[in-house]
Amino acid sequence: MRIKPFKRVRNALSTLLLVGAAIFWLIPLIWSVLIAVRPENEPIVTGNIFVGSRLTLENFQNVVRVTNWGEHFYATLRFVFGVLVVQVVTITLAAYAFARMRFWGKRLFFGLILIQLMIPAAVLIVPNFATISALGLYDTMWALMLPYMGSAFGTFLMRQAFKQVPLELEDAARIDGCGWFGVLWNVYLPPSLPSLVAFSLVSITTRWNEFLWPMIVTQSSENRPLTIGLSRVLRTSEVGALYGQITAGVLIVIFPLMLLFMLFQRQFINSFVRSGLK
Amino acid sequence: MSHIESFLDYRAARSLTTGKYTRLWQNVLPYLLILPTFAFVMLFTLLPTVNALIQSLYQPGNARVPTRYVGLQNYLDLFNPNTLIGADFLRIAGNTLIYIFTTVPISMAIGFGLALLLNRKMRALGLFRFAFFYPVLIPLIGAGSIFAFLFADQIGLLNTILRSFGLPSIKWIGDPNWTLIAIIMVSIWKQAGFCMIMYLAGLQGLPQDVYEAAELDGASTWQKIRRITLPLLQGTTLFILTTSIAASFQFVDHLFALGEGQPNERSNLLLYFVFQKYNEPRNQGYVSAITIIILVALLLFTVLNFWLWERRTHYEN
Repeated sequence: MRIKPFKRVRNALSTLLLVGAAIFWLIPLIWSVLIAVRPENEPIVTGNIFVGSRLTLENFQNVVRVTNWGEHFYATLRFVFGVLVVQVVTITLAAYAFARMRFWGKRLFFGLILIQLMIPAAVLIVPNFATISALGLYDTMWALMLPYMGSAFGTFLMRQAFKQVPLELEDAARIDGCGWFGVLWNVYLPPSLPSLVAFSLVSITTRWNEFLWPMIVTQSSENRPLTIGLSRVLRTSEVGALYGQITAGVLIVIFPLMLLFMLFQRQFINSFVRSGLK
Repeated sequence: MSHIESFLDYRAARSLTTGKYTRLWQNVLPYLLILPTFAFVMLFTLLPTVNALIQSLYQPGNARVPTRYVGLQNYLDLFNPNTLIGADFLRIAGNTLIYIFTTVPISMAIGFGLALLLNRKMRALGLFRFAFFYPVLIPLIGAGSIFAFLFADQIGLLNTILRSFGLPSIKWIGDPNWTLIAIIMVSIWKQAGFCMIMYLAGLQGLPQDVYEAAELDGASTWQKIRRITLPLLQGTTLFILTTSIAASFQFVDHLFALGEGQPNERSNLLLYFVFQKYNEPRNQGYVSAITIIILVALLLFTVLNFWLWERRTHYEN
């Protein structure tokens, strides 16, 4: 076939293009690591271009003094998993009702909930801040978590998953004497787990990276997640712009998620795809 | 007795024995199940929307003047370039439109290109996916912090490269002409990977026989992309477009590390401006009005996308 050699050249070219683009995309990450382990504010031309005059952990030692990372880490964990646990329960219950029960106003209530897909909480920071203040919850973990506890997106995703489950299975379970919870637990949840995992990974990622809302509704460092810790590094070092410390801070914040992503790359990517394709 | 019959029998028996209490329970149960989700969504989506709408019609008072109803005056002020707030708002709204209409199409084009390149059997696929997708998973404030360094005047990588080519270095953060561009670059870097995996998923679902037929007809690669791939992926494209536009309104955290909208609001974005002003009592009416304007813009884009979705050509069967 005369097409073959041409194809091989083209494959090689596109690989080359991909490698170039990948390096381009990886530079910020690689560069952060390099800057974090070289002496503070050493120009690139000093010493070895990659590691500078010497390898050091000074930046990490300095950055842990800027703010209480232990507290921030604990706050992030409570925020991320507090929201997730509540979400998983609320979306599962609501999705089951919307998928398989008949009741008056079902379409209306579903429609009202779906409005949340169009109006993201991130845009409502001003009125939501007013609500939180009125409830007297300023600077508490509740303030952080409450706006995210009901999820239209999760409800929709789980409803789609539950609708895939054959009705005959539910009938069979009912004959075996299962109540609604038994049916939900034994019949609907097991085949819908991939959707629940997809939702969870997307939720964990988004909460972990949340910045503006925590900045607005919290004040004490025990309630402030890692991203706010990072912003403190940015501000305290502004005078001299201590980039070594800043990049060290970034690495502290992103490390747990990056590790998870490296271990479960396929699950992460599938989750984002699944949550998109419905 | 067949299964169905025994089942009906069982149901009848049950409804006979269970009585009023259970029937009431059956009627109430669905409402109980949806209640938590419904309550949370009401309290933190619908109520605040209405709240912002009401607040946007009032001018906040102070120690001497009480709060008063001003109708649409806040909105008129915002769209009037001669008021103090209007000059800023119009500039920032313009920035936001520029930001969205550069970030979204460029990320989508890059994502589509990368997906085309990755859509074949190849080694180290995982490595490539990591390289393009990891920015999606890191916080925007983290991305901003890293790029603040890449953009730095003296020791930044970009300026070091520019200088090594004998070019003058650029004040990326601080020069009014470059700051918004720098912010857009960070967003593209962060969003392209999301577009890529969505397109990749779309590409993997395409029927291969169409391409084989096109190859037999001697179609070139470009023709195949234009005449087959793009039309078949219309749905994917519209979906990415909708989500990316909505997301772009919210992607402002990196401004915290990249100049905070300065100089002169030349690089500011709407949601970040709201974030800067939310706690100033005298601006309460204005930030509420801007919130409503953002929501209306989101709604318009959603409606537009629905309209495009309805009009799209159906290729599936």
